[in-house]
Amino acid sequence: MTSSEAGAGGARAADDSPVLSVQNATHQFGSLVAVDDVSITAGRGEFLTLLGESGSGKTTLLRVIAGLERPTQLGGIFIEGQDVSAVPASRRNCTTVFQHYALFPHMSVGQNIEYGLRVRGVSLSERRERAMEALNLVRLPETYDRRVHQLSGGERQRISLARALVTRPAILLLDEPLGALDEKLRVDMQVELLDLHRKLGITFIYVTHSQEEALTMSDRIILMRNGNIVQEGPPTDLFDRPGNRFVADFMGVENLLEGTLEAVSGGRASVRVGDHELGGIWSGGDAPAAGTKVCVAVRAERVRLSNESGEGREDAVNRLPCRAGITIYKGKYVDRTLDTDIGAVKARIWDHEADLADLTSLWWRDDECAVTLMEAEDS
Amino acid sequence: MPRLPAGVWSLSGFSLLWFGGIVLPLLAIILVSFLQGRGLNINFDPTIKQYERFFSYGGGEMLARSVRIAGTVTLIELLLAFPFALWLAKGCKNNTVKLLTFTALTVPFFLSPAARVIVWRSVFGINGVVNQVLLGAGIVDEPVLWLIFSEFSVHFGFIGAFFPTMVWPIFLSVSLIDNDFLEASGDLGASRLRTLLHIILPLALPGIVAGFVFTFIPMLGDAVVSSYMGGNNVLMLAAQVQSLIGVSNFLVAAALAAVVLAIMLAFQVLLWFALKPVGGLAGVFASLRR
Repeated sequence: MTSSEAGAGGARAADDSPVLSVQNATHQFGSLVAVDDVSITAGRGEFLTLLGESGSGKTTLLRVIAGLERPTQLGGIFIEGQDVSAVPASRRNCTTVFQHYALFPHMSVGQNIEYGLRVRGVSLSERRERAMEALNLVRLPETYDRRVHQLSGGERQRISLARALVTRPAILLLDEPLGALDEKLRVDMQVELLDLHRKLGITFIYVTHSQEEALTMSDRIILMRNGNIVQEGPPTDLFDRPGNRFVADFMGVENLLEGTLEAVSGGRASVRVGDHELGGIWSGGDAPAAGTKVCVAVRAERVRLSNESGEGREDAVNRLPCRAGITIYKGKYVDRTLDTDIGAVKARIWDHEADLADLTSLWWRDDECAVTLMEAEDS
Repeated sequence: MPRLPAGVWSLSGFSLLWFGGIVLPLLAIILVSFLQGRGLNINFDPTIKQYERFFSYGGGEMLARSVRIAGTVTLIELLLAFPFALWLAKGCKNNTVKLLTFTALTVPFFLSPAARVIVWRSVFGINGVVNQVLLGAGIVDEPVLWLIFSEFSVHFGFIGAFFPTMVWPIFLSVSLIDNDFLEASGDLGASRLRTLLHIILPLALPGIVAGFVFTFIPMLGDAVVSSYMGGNNVLMLAAQVQSLIGVSNFLVAAALAAVVLAIMLAFQVLLWFALKPVGGLAGVFASLRR
């Protein structure tokens, strides 16, 4: 599943040689394998997200790319075609935005931003000019003379962005940069980061544990678990076509029903769950033999309610009789738990008119439902 | 009457203690140094005779020697302690090694200073280990005399005695430097040397200043090393004050103490000016604000 660059806004196809290529990187901390023989590439100007829960190896992989961690085993790291395996962090053409900003406390904002230029021997006047440019880019031009401790969290985040961008690296590495910000600021910063990415055309490699952040921002997502890549592809792939149950769960699919595969044909899978025959789009890659345990993954908002029996209808394949369970009011929508004979199913109802008090069954379209493997082979 | 905050009370309490316990005795010393008399018979008639006597008997030279030796040793300590503290705080990953180092830095100081210093006599003395080895190996024909009761031996004795006072504050301030800062510096393109100069040194400055103060000033007041390792060849201030008190010459001792006090004050002023480029003492500690 290599990058097809079909994702939103990612097509900067002028030069299709990858700006970054990591080959067979393994990194161990003692006996713990943090990154297990992982290879990734990133295209020029791509917004690539390394997604995973804590301990999945995403940050370690980022640090390996930055040169802050020397991998235990490595096939090679190439930045702009050049092997940088033996090159220290200070001479790699990439900079990092640290999770806790790492702004130098003894320097002013201006001195912080100019630091990368200062150590490269850039003249004072040019330094100042480029620092102001970077400050304008992050819309904080008035903070040049401030001290770091006078800035708010969001401001610090933007200053550390400016500091990383001022040396014009080929790749910007971002380590959960929005992790320490509050909800509203995080959403604003997502938009701002996207905006910067579009303006600068630099490759962004973004580490996050938030699937929502990954979906919003990325051209391509690499989902990691226990040091391995579980699935990679554009956000829509991971969201709608999870390669196994773990991916579906991580991407927030509420209803995961375990069943037995009956057949896969024409991309459609039919599955027996309890006494029911369910169908959906096969998402697990090469189809396994009939009889294999598989997972039917359907999002709560795809589940619809009905008070007809629905016999003889075309979409009757995914219809389950049910009884109403708990209803949770969430403001914008209502979450309902419905009891069926194969377990509870969650439905999310956005439209109040579609909410039925006297429901008798629920159903979902088979093209809005994924059928996938139970777990990744390697775990 | 408005209630005063607790801070004011503790501050005024502290000030009172400080004034009564430290400032008053110092003022008394200064007062005594301007009196005259012999033994305990003191005559309240202001004079600068004690100072004249002190300087006419080579006191100025001794003063200069004391400050020079304390200054040199403090600088040597800084050069030795900084890399050591850096290694201890950031380089040493092995906790057992760390613990052993801490122990090595503290345990010898349970011994009395005299006991600690006097062992060097058996190492550097005329019949000491070093001379035995040198003579035995045929490197020298007669014992090397400058190994003991010389400026060399005094420097040596001070270096051992005042190493921990320089290491500890620097170790603490370097430990407080977030590794993220060091990584960020390298990541932004700085070599190790530049990271040392631009990030570690300024952030460790509070520790360096503290180490300087806690090493230099007590060294000026140390009478043990200079008398045990220097004998009569290397006379220094503190030992002199002690021997003057020993022969009940309180007035000259007071004058000498007053001179030491003046040097300390001058040193404070010097430090104040030296720290001006980094924003004074407040600037030194500003880097600790996060």
